[in-house]
Amino acid sequence: MFRQPLVVATGLSKAYHLGAAIVPAIRRVTLTVDESEFIALQGPSGSGKTTLLNLLGLLDQPDEGEVLIRGEDSRALSEDERSDLRRDRFGFVFQSFNLIAVLSAEENVAYPMALAGVLPAERRQRARELLEAVGLADKFGVRPDLLSGGQRQRVAIARALANRPAIVFADEPTANLDSHTAEEILGLMREISDSSGVAFLFATHDPRVVARARRVVTLRDGSVEADVRT
Amino acid sequence: MNGFHLALRNLARQRRRSALMGTVVAFGFAAFALAGGFIAQTFEALKEGSIQRVGHLQVVDRRAAGKSEESTLEFGLKDGDKARSIAARDPAVAAVLPRIDFVGLASNGVKSSPFLGVGVDPDPEARATAAGELVTAGRYLSGDGGDDIVLGTGLAAGLSVGLGDRLTLMASTPDGSLNAVDAVVVGLVDVHIKELNDRYLAGGVSLVSRLLQSSGVVSRLVIFLKSEADEDAAAARLSAALNEAGFPAEILRWRTLATFYGQVRMLYIGIFGFVGTVLVVIVILSAAIVMTMAVTERTREIGTLRALGTRPSGIRNLFLAEGVLLALAGCLVGAAFALAVRAVLNASGIVLPPAPGATRGFAIVVKFYPLAYAVGFASMLVTMTVASFFPARRAARMPIVDALAHV
Repeated sequence: MFRQPLVVATGLSKAYHLGAAIVPAIRRVTLTVDESEFIALQGPSGSGKTTLLNLLGLLDQPDEGEVLIRGEDSRALSEDERSDLRRDRFGFVFQSFNLIAVLSAEENVAYPMALAGVLPAERRQRARELLEAVGLADKFGVRPDLLSGGQRQRVAIARALANRPAIVFADEPTANLDSHTAEEILGLMREISDSSGVAFLFATHDPRVVARARRVVTLRDGSVEADVRT
Repeated sequence: MNGFHLALRNLARQRRRSALMGTVVAFGFAAFALAGGFIAQTFEALKEGSIQRVGHLQVVDRRAAGKSEESTLEFGLKDGDKARSIAARDPAVAAVLPRIDFVGLASNGVKSSPFLGVGVDPDPEARATAAGELVTAGRYLSGDGGDDIVLGTGLAAGLSVGLGDRLTLMASTPDGSLNAVDAVVVGLVDVHIKELNDRYLAGGVSLVSRLLQSSGVVSRLVIFLKSEADEDAAAARLSAALNEAGFPAEILRWRTLATFYGQVRMLYIGIFGFVGTVLVVIVILSAAIVMTMAVTERTREIGTLRALGTRPSGIRNLFLAEGVLLALAGCLVGAAFALAVRAVLNASGIVLPPAPGATRGFAIVVKFYPLAYAVGFASMLVTMTVASFFPARRAARMPIVDALAHV
């Protein structure tokens, strides 16, 4: 049976207003993401990597073009439906980890499951399993401020996987990590992708991410300059 | 894990700010509870005092309702004793007191002074109205009163008379002629209102009837009920029974008669309403500032929660929940504070200055009125919800990418 691609972006354009000036961030970008892909979006600062990631992750709306999620046009979705779609099918990993400071590691991971209505016992069990999988079996009850950068990013990865997403969007996930930790985190994400079929889409400057990617999309001045599978 | 859980954690994280806001709410609540309790107590005391003066109901001649007499007992109720016995038969009635209102001149032979007189049936009057408690010297009237009279302390001072002194009372009879009787001062009373104290005189119905040559006619029958709840039913029954017996009777309610009570009540409600409004505005402004700061500080967190799939309504409810939790905690502390202040005030013995026109101050008493606490709680809850709503809505409407990029 034919299965729709995970994400199809067609003719995406987005510009920002900076005072009176209108600065185009991406121009007529077309991109398809399939299951299990491990993609690095690379390019110089201002090339539109984060903007494209935000549009594909339904965090922002394009000025032009469309984003289809499994064939469903995201433009037709209400704000609540977009929220539900992010909750159920997407995971996000941020450069600054963006953990909820008042929640423990376990609670951070359980949060998206609570949004999805997973029962407390089940989400507790899954949160613990995920934390164990990212190597934080001894940090369930620890608040983010007591974790190292690498540990925080591991919690963020576990959180991103909480609702068994089809794709994880990661914006510069290694930028705030030391070299060794960055390697570990990347290895972990690749391993998860390989084992569970979750697609990963990175916006990155980091050559280590690019080196591990199975597909590298290069952006320049808001347009796709190259799209290479390795 | 739900919105309240997360809200509680955030409040605990911002301990100092939450404590500050909780204190504002606590003071707001305590002010409502204490002021409400004090005012309700004052209303109750005023009401009791008013009913004690005018009774629950009064029976008057239909012509007397809403009109002033031009001559003594012009609108008097004839055959007052019969009307009294009919009224006394009603099961809701506790006491029926005849009263004769009249004006006259009191003279000690050297000096004369006008007075506002009232003829009463002494023993039932003393029992029902606790008139004896007003006596500052001597005693209240008793039996049928005989030739005894009691004077307001101001009138007695004006006439330079004391206990045992004799006065000649002069008054116009209903037919317009002048009559006089001698009377003996047996007591001095303080009726608490200075102007009335300077003119007040009371004697037995028999003495006053003799003076006015108006046997059997009374100005009104003052009726005390066993329970205030019976007022409507008793008024209807009395009206029917008296009119059936041929009396052109009109039943007046105490609220109609006690105009002072209504005026003071409106004044207090006005003052309390104004102070309450100021209080609510202060709490709203404080809470709005605190919640706006919280939204600004947590902009990035809002972006994260939205990215993870929290709906805009979820974000709004999160901040509203913080407002509601602050209201609950503040009210709890406020209730404890209000009860403590109430205990201190009631034990302090502080005497408030006399009300306008009154001669005596009264000790401050703040009663525990659950309704005042409920109103305080509801006010703070609504206030905090309203104050939190706009910052919460702003948080819910924030573009996700802007929130995530917030530094």
